[in-house]
Amino acid sequence: MTRTKPSRLSYLTTGIIKENPTLILMIGLCPTLATTTSARDALGMSAAASFVLILSNVVISLVRKFIQPSIRIPIFIIIISTFVTIIDYALQAYQPSLYRVLGVFVPLIVVNCIILGRAEAFAYNHGVFDSFLDGLGNSLGFTLLLVVMGSVREFFAAGTIFGKVVTPAWYRSAPMLFMIFPPGAFFLIGILKALVIKLKLDKG
Amino acid sequence: MNSRTWMVVSLLITCLVAGFALAEVFAMTKPKIEQQKIDATNSALGQVLATAQSFKEITKDSLWYGLNQSGAKTGIVIRSARRGYGGPVPVLVGLDLAGRIVGLKVASPAEGLKETPGLGLKATEDWFARQFVGLDSAIALKQEGGTIDAISGATITSRAVARGVAQAISKYSEHLKP
Amino acid sequence: MSLTKIFIGAFLVNNILLMRFIALCSFFGVSTSMDTSVGMSAAVVFVTMLAAWVCWVLWHALLLPLGLGFLRTAVFILVIAGLVQFVEMFLRKYMRGLYSAMGIYLPLITTNCAILAVTFLNVDYGFNLLQATIYALGVGGGYSLAIILFAAIRERLEDSPVSPSFRGYPIAFVGASLISLAFLGFANLFGITI
Repeated sequence: MTRTKPSRLSYLTTGIIKENPTLILMIGLCPTLATTTSARDALGMSAAASFVLILSNVVISLVRKFIQPSIRIPIFIIIISTFVTIIDYALQAYQPSLYRVLGVFVPLIVVNCIILGRAEAFAYNHGVFDSFLDGLGNSLGFTLLLVVMGSVREFFAAGTIFGKVVTPAWYRSAPMLFMIFPPGAFFLIGILKALVIKLKLDKG
Repeated sequence: MNSRTWMVVSLLITCLVAGFALAEVFAMTKPKIEQQKIDATNSALGQVLATAQSFKEITKDSLWYGLNQSGAKTGIVIRSARRGYGGPVPVLVGLDLAGRIVGLKVASPAEGLKETPGLGLKATEDWFARQFVGLDSAIALKQEGGTIDAISGATITSRAVARGVAQAISKYSEHLKP
Repeated sequence: MSLTKIFIGAFLVNNILLMRFIALCSFFGVSTSMDTSVGMSAAVVFVTMLAAWVCWVLWHALLLPLGLGFLRTAVFILVIAGLVQFVEMFLRKYMRGLYSAMGIYLPLITTNCAILAVTFLNVDYGFNLLQATIYALGVGGGYSLAIILFAAIRERLEDSPVSPSFRGYPIAFVGASLISLAFLGFANLFGITI
């Protein structure tokens, strides 16, 4: 028991910081850059992707004993795309304004490398609960980065965070619009990645 | 069951389960999705023509009659769109029966507006739309001989709104009869 | 919407990589050298066209008439996965030269979101088959343009004195930011918005 406990916890935590899917492993970049023009949209996108990631991890680990290795990829894809379609329709029905902002990026969750990657690397050979923790950890890591990106971009480009005014009026009259455009997104993630590398180098 | 048969069968089962689950979700959310669309339209229509109790669609997605409780026409609402900087700029114009503008709404980004944040997107702000209220003709920017102040740095978007409104009024003026 | 406008829109104005942020994983993963970029571009153009045709026909001949629109995501991604497998087998068997040029990139393409995005957008924009073909060509061309431009820059970056914490990905992102800034200049070119 004393030996299994820390390892269980680590399933949850590796995905958040140490192996953060987006910032460390550099996968799932499309939504990270495209849907972070504001903190609220970033949170919406992360919620949708997390729903798919956690549930597909759980379902795949549940049925993994019945899936033959040679056809695992098509089956993963069917399972993932089912959850993607469910969240697609749920957003249309209950969050239509968010759905219109996210647009084609909702169905594109299906090719988010994080989800297929976790199915292949973790859920296919771990138990249900462990896979749930792994999915949750990776979701939190993904969400963390998206919300940071969204908040920083919204802060510079509109002077607000989650729609709350946080800058003086003189700033908002001529904000740094650059950050809301595609170049700003590339620039910001470059800076974040450089910070991560700097921290690692300093540690030795 | 040998492994090759099981391969086919397991794929089939997955497809069937997924298909049925999706059909179920689709059936569950479909009425809600349609209702959302109607609600969104009605609330936008209500914002530009406050005198109407209900709306009757005359031309799909571009012309509505506003009706009061007794069913008499109180005005019309027109949707029109001229090209701005990033794409069409959809506007919703409410007119009373005298042909005066009583309300104007520029679509938000969630409703399909693609103008530049901080510049063209300012067209959705209240002060800009309010300039149009009360006008009935000669709707144009100040630099084009009209009365509308353009948004600084976003003349193209401002012009798209003004022209969209002018076009809406001239195109549907015959519907203004009670 | 004229075919020229559709092409230029997909090729430059709304460049799939630099403006829409689709298919970025392969953009950064593959663009480390010119050879891999060219191979990947060829594979993407080829598969995008095929997938656009197959998905367009499936959507208009099967899914739409039968009211099975809700299966779109699942069907399209499976079609692309199957198509990639099929093309790989075909090339390995009959066209060794082409296979050695782009074969190793084919498996990577299944999760290349550019292709799936094209099939979705063809449906969303309501294109006819000819328009869909041109659009697919424009997206594939725009992908190639961006990735080859970027590969040239990254090859130079390898030899540049970059500060340690910016070496690798960070400076690549900053470079991408600058190219993307240049592409921003195409915004509203000829009034194209698609």
